[in-house]
Amino acid sequence: MRINPILEKDLKTKLRGWRSTILICCYVILLIGILFLYFASNNIFNPYNTHNFNPRMAMDAYNLIITFQFALLFLAVPAITATSVSSERERQTLDLMLVTKTPVRKIIVGKIMVSLAHTMLLLIASMPVIGVVFFFGGIGFLDIIKLLLFYVLTSFFVASCGVFFSTVFKRNIVAIITTYIFLGLITFGPFILFLVLGLVRERYSYTGFSPVYRDFVSALFPSSVFGFTSFYISGSSYSMYYGYYSPGIFSEVAQEIEQQRMASTGLWKLLHPWLANGLFNVVASISLIFLSARILNPIHRKK
Amino acid sequence: MMVHVDNLTKRFRGTLAVDRLTMQIPTGEIYGFVGANGAGKTTTMRIIAGLLKPTSGKVYVNGVDVSKEPLEVKRNIGYMPDFFGVYDDLKVSEYMNFYAGLQGISKSKTAELADSLLQLVRLTEKREAYVDSLSRGMKQRLCLARSLIHDPKFLILDEPASGLDPRARVEMKEILKELRSMGKTVLISSHILPELSELCTAIGIIDSGRLVASGSVSEVVEKMSQSGRVKIKVADREEEAVKVMMEMPGIGSISSVAGVIEVNVSGGNEEYVRILRTLVEKDIPVISFQPIEGSLESVFMHLTERGNGNEN
Repeated sequence: MRINPILEKDLKTKLRGWRSTILICCYVILLIGILFLYFASNNIFNPYNTHNFNPRMAMDAYNLIITFQFALLFLAVPAITATSVSSERERQTLDLMLVTKTPVRKIIVGKIMVSLAHTMLLLIASMPVIGVVFFFGGIGFLDIIKLLLFYVLTSFFVASCGVFFSTVFKRNIVAIITTYIFLGLITFGPFILFLVLGLVRERYSYTGFSPVYRDFVSALFPSSVFGFTSFYISGSSYSMYYGYYSPGIFSEVAQEIEQQRMASTGLWKLLHPWLANGLFNVVASISLIFLSARILNPIHRKK
Repeated sequence: MMVHVDNLTKRFRGTLAVDRLTMQIPTGEIYGFVGANGAGKTTTMRIIAGLLKPTSGKVYVNGVDVSKEPLEVKRNIGYMPDFFGVYDDLKVSEYMNFYAGLQGISKSKTAELADSLLQLVRLTEKREAYVDSLSRGMKQRLCLARSLIHDPKFLILDEPASGLDPRARVEMKEILKELRSMGKTVLISSHILPELSELCTAIGIIDSGRLVASGSVSEVVEKMSQSGRVKIKVADREEEAVKVMMEMPGIGSISSVAGVIEVNVSGGNEEYVRILRTLVEKDIPVISFQPIEGSLESVFMHLTERGNGNEN
């Protein structure tokens, strides 16, 4: 059995030569640099500072790295996928693909797999850096596996959006901009709505946010930031133990969501934010693949 | 019958690109598709290839309805558009391998197939060269090899010789002859009309989306020629011969240079007989009397006099 020919070709051409190797090296060096600067700013390399180590620091370093990766995923994946079909069109190779007996759906999946392969490559390359936090404890192996799964599902969704807009718009630049706008709205839109509604509730209710989780969680499903809250706090077993430590509003909200989930009952309690968002991502991605295939299929096209 | 196009119509936002076109291409035929720019050739070819949905009408390839079973049709079709469609960052062998994969050909068979096709298009020595290093003619031949990778029964070649220098054209023509000997059915459009008339077993002339003539080259030329032309060589009395013919009905323009008279005649063989008989009766010393056969080019020029339509 052959692997998807589109995946095979793109990996062959993109990984040929030194360019991609240098890019991966730069990415890993950047992650190491961020980690180093963080620890340095917290005086951890000072040999005389033996009595003042806070394990929470490792958690925050971990949060910093995964946030950086999360943001990078949203910036890099659309850049790869939002031009995937439109560039074939510009290069006049799209018709040549469509005239083969490969179904349109498989062509779309091939394009998405290309970006997933790149994401996986970057994630695997960054594992040794993330692994540094294991020295300090607090992060379990299962947390990392869950995080990887979440990243893959998020990449799948982001890539599907990119390919979808690439099939809709003929010009690369229009496809890229639309993809970023759409992802911005779907990622931050529900979350901002949640914050606003939560704050309104808090203002007019004696019970604060509650019961926010059950009320608003389904509206938050599409937001990958919501899914990301699972990792911002759930990996942090120390954060509960050592008490409250706030690096910002996001941490507060993440903590609030987690507390609300814990306070829920039945299926709601099992539905971790990352899982809820992951499920949404899978369903939405499959729908987008079918839609893209339909738009691209010459038999359905008007022009 | 390899291709059957039945009452095909295609509209683009109100513009009629193909108008109730009906045509048939028997198996093994090399069918030349002739028409001015914007006549509807490319649109028709794209619909046959399953790349465009017709507004109405049906297209069958090897008996299979293109709009109902496109994947089945694609097994039988090799399509070469009027542009290269190449990936410059791939090597020639990788390019072939990529399309073999898209056509569902196993890896074990691909290398052998690619080699034989590269040999057919005379690119064997360029196997490991990058596509962007190939000349225009080579790229065109590579595209032809690509369209043959799944051994299709029917080939659609849209302007395969456009933009090629004379040598590259000759090479392309030789390859097409080989395809003909391999028994492929080919639908080919080209502006290089003498080449088409030499290569094709049949032609169809399309004008404003309508098929105005179809059949063998000689049939179409005969059918479409509005007037014949005859070349008469006389030993003497050239002026008198011209004068005699000018008085005859059905004679168009006459030109004469150094004993050779060319006459436009409306009508067929009977008219030629009448002219020759009259000249002999008038005792004109006729050395030779040679009707000039109409050419595909002249028919095409006549049909497309209006011809600067929009591209489609």
